[in-house]
Amino acid sequence: MSVFQLPAPLRSFFVHFPLHTYDPILPKNKKQTTAPTLWIAPPRTGLDPDNTDLLSSDVKCLKWQAYLALRGVTGVQVRYDVAPDGGIDGRLPNLQVSLEGRVASPEDGELLAAHLIPTWVDGWLERHGKKGADPLEGHLDQAAKDESTAWVALLEGQIHAALVLAQPTSSYISSLLNLSAGNSRPFNSLLNPPPAPFTGLTSLVPPSGTRIAPSLVYAQYSDAIGALSERLGTDKWFLGSESPTALDALVFAYLHIILHSKEDVRIEVTRRVNLVAWEWRVRGLVRSAFTKIA
Amino acid sequence: MEDPKGLKPPLQPSKSPKDQEPVDADLERLRKWQEERIQRRLRGEYESAVIHLSEVINNNLESPLTISSVRVEGTPNTRKSFLGFVINPTLSSFSAGPQNFESVLHTTREISHRLRETDIYKTLQVRIEQARDALAQDGSVDVVFKAQERGRFYLNTSTELGNAEGNASATARIRNVFGGAETLEANLSMGTKTRRSFRASLEAPISPDLKTRGELTLYGLERDNTGFASSYETLRGLKAAVRNGTPRWGMHEVTYEAILRHVGGFTPTASIGIRECAGQTFKSAVSHSWTLDTRDDRITATRGHYTKILNELAGFGGDAAFYKSEAEAQISRPIFPGSTLAFAARTGFLWSLGKPVLFSDRFQAGGPISVRMFKANGLGPRDGSDSLGGDMYWSAGISLISDIPRKPHWPVKTHLFVNAGRLDNIDKSRSIADNITDALRRPSVSAGLGLIYRFDPVRVEVNFGVPLVANRSDGTRKGLQVGMGLEFL
Repeated sequence: MSVFQLPAPLRSFFVHFPLHTYDPILPKNKKQTTAPTLWIAPPRTGLDPDNTDLLSSDVKCLKWQAYLALRGVTGVQVRYDVAPDGGIDGRLPNLQVSLEGRVASPEDGELLAAHLIPTWVDGWLERHGKKGADPLEGHLDQAAKDESTAWVALLEGQIHAALVLAQPTSSYISSLLNLSAGNSRPFNSLLNPPPAPFTGLTSLVPPSGTRIAPSLVYAQYSDAIGALSERLGTDKWFLGSESPTALDALVFAYLHIILHSKEDVRIEVTRRVNLVAWEWRVRGLVRSAFTKIA
Repeated sequence: MEDPKGLKPPLQPSKSPKDQEPVDADLERLRKWQEERIQRRLRGEYESAVIHLSEVINNNLESPLTISSVRVEGTPNTRKSFLGFVINPTLSSFSAGPQNFESVLHTTREISHRLRETDIYKTLQVRIEQARDALAQDGSVDVVFKAQERGRFYLNTSTELGNAEGNASATARIRNVFGGAETLEANLSMGTKTRRSFRASLEAPISPDLKTRGELTLYGLERDNTGFASSYETLRGLKAAVRNGTPRWGMHEVTYEAILRHVGGFTPTASIGIRECAGQTFKSAVSHSWTLDTRDDRITATRGHYTKILNELAGFGGDAAFYKSEAEAQISRPIFPGSTLAFAARTGFLWSLGKPVLFSDRFQAGGPISVRMFKANGLGPRDGSDSLGGDMYWSAGISLISDIPRKPHWPVKTHLFVNAGRLDNIDKSRSIADNITDALRRPSVSAGLGLIYRFDPVRVEVNFGVPLVANRSDGTRKGLQVGMGLEFL
């Protein structure tokens, strides 16, 4: 309650205004949400202009696309016309879901940040008579669940680092003309052990910058892909789970992006047949789960 | 005073020989009388000298005389080519006409006027002397200007606090930077609301009469739009403008602008509608504006009128393609002593040319300096609490501005106002006439009274009022509203 209260006569005077009210002026192109919509970074633009592939070119977005598809959520639309800055905290993906009658129509729903998607999925599955929240998150046992954490760290650390290194660096001019703040994770934090400073400890110049050895990053990447291939073996899902887990979604996202990346990172995956076959199978599942927003 | 020996000084007035010398006066009055007498005499001498001079001049206006050369002395920082650029056209028109004493004087005055216009000289003295050149023909003179240049460098830093905003800024200016009356100015400011802004501009005269000026500006700023659109807007642009005339007699400005805009930094509660506007866009546009301002005062005008018309065409590359037209008019008339009736109207129209109209280009309306008793940019299409802007608007206001009784000299005035306006989208499935009629038929209207305070160069208003008619989507403001700005409705 405010410290200053409007005097009662003034309040009763203000109640009469405005004397006449017109209908609200609605924004152009405002659409009502008909289905849950995932906002993602745009898919790769291939040679085909009528590209019907709705798989995002961003690994984080693709991970959540795969997560929704593999957990069995159906009827999800995707849109990729909104810039990443439009997402909550300036990040995509976001899931736009209906408020389901909590506010009067017409409503365009609410936006969920990526970390809220699992809770929403659990609720959705329960509402549709499927198995919802699971304490083991689909894994066989607690040990498998713990192991998955280690695999996540490997993927988001060493494999991600190699992927970032393989990206073409943007020119100085384009960085000057880019006004978006950009909130990607600093590259140094991806590496384990952290990289050495650029200037030596014995030099007169205080330690600054970082010395990144690409050969070391690629060697670690190669080991990681090898380990991933061995662990998958001929299993249907990672860590021998009966049904897909969040780890499968993450692995798929990385494998898919790597397979459409530069030759020197792609070759490590293409020479492992089981990974390629697994990615191909999962890609079919994920691709069929989404439709583009009308 | 008469000499005791009976001698009279020359030119002694015979009518009152003592020249009304006070009799029996004390020393003080006597001294005063003497001073006045000396002053009177000096004035008389001066006047007779002027009369004599003008007689000489008038009698010789027709005598043949020509200009051999024009010299400007004391200008170490001004380019010779620039002086030639300013002076030569006057000299050629002199050569083309009759060459006599009169035209020499006119030409000298014209050159002197132009040199003063450059605004790079502190003092300027002129002499006409015998031609120095050995080859100069008889009856030719040199026109010599003795100038003193102004200081070239200016640096200013300031810190301002107030209105829930802190701001620190630094300005540096170099006058006559390349020796051609160019002004280079750079400004950098940081604040809590307008978080960062910089501006560097180079202005230079491009016509010999100095009435047409060109300006090249590089700028960048970050706008805090969280109040009405839950976001920040970063702008970085380059502008090239050519300006001719003065607002008093009509000023034209043709501009090309290339600008990068970025909408981002959304607050957690930002609506989906405004989030869809996120991202970086590029606009490349040419525009023309015409301004005529004959008001006697910018803040509380009592007579005169103000008109501004702006046309912009965007779409020479970039993400924006539209035609935009805006007009603004103000007229003030005194109705009885101490009271003025002021009428102001603004309108704007935006037509997309094959590309969707972007948030940064759309119009916004409402607020203390627009349609009062509505929230700042609170009119028009809104999603939640975010104003998404519209393609078409009009607003009009009529104010009765009066002096405080018995205190007409106070900078505070009272005013009564009625404002109306509407901001809407253009429905392209209907005719333009239908769109306009519809917008005129359903205005948001407000009325109230308040005080205007002249706080040069801005006007501050404190108003009490209510919205009378509103759209259900409008952000209204009942009760007190404070406004601060330059141009009010």
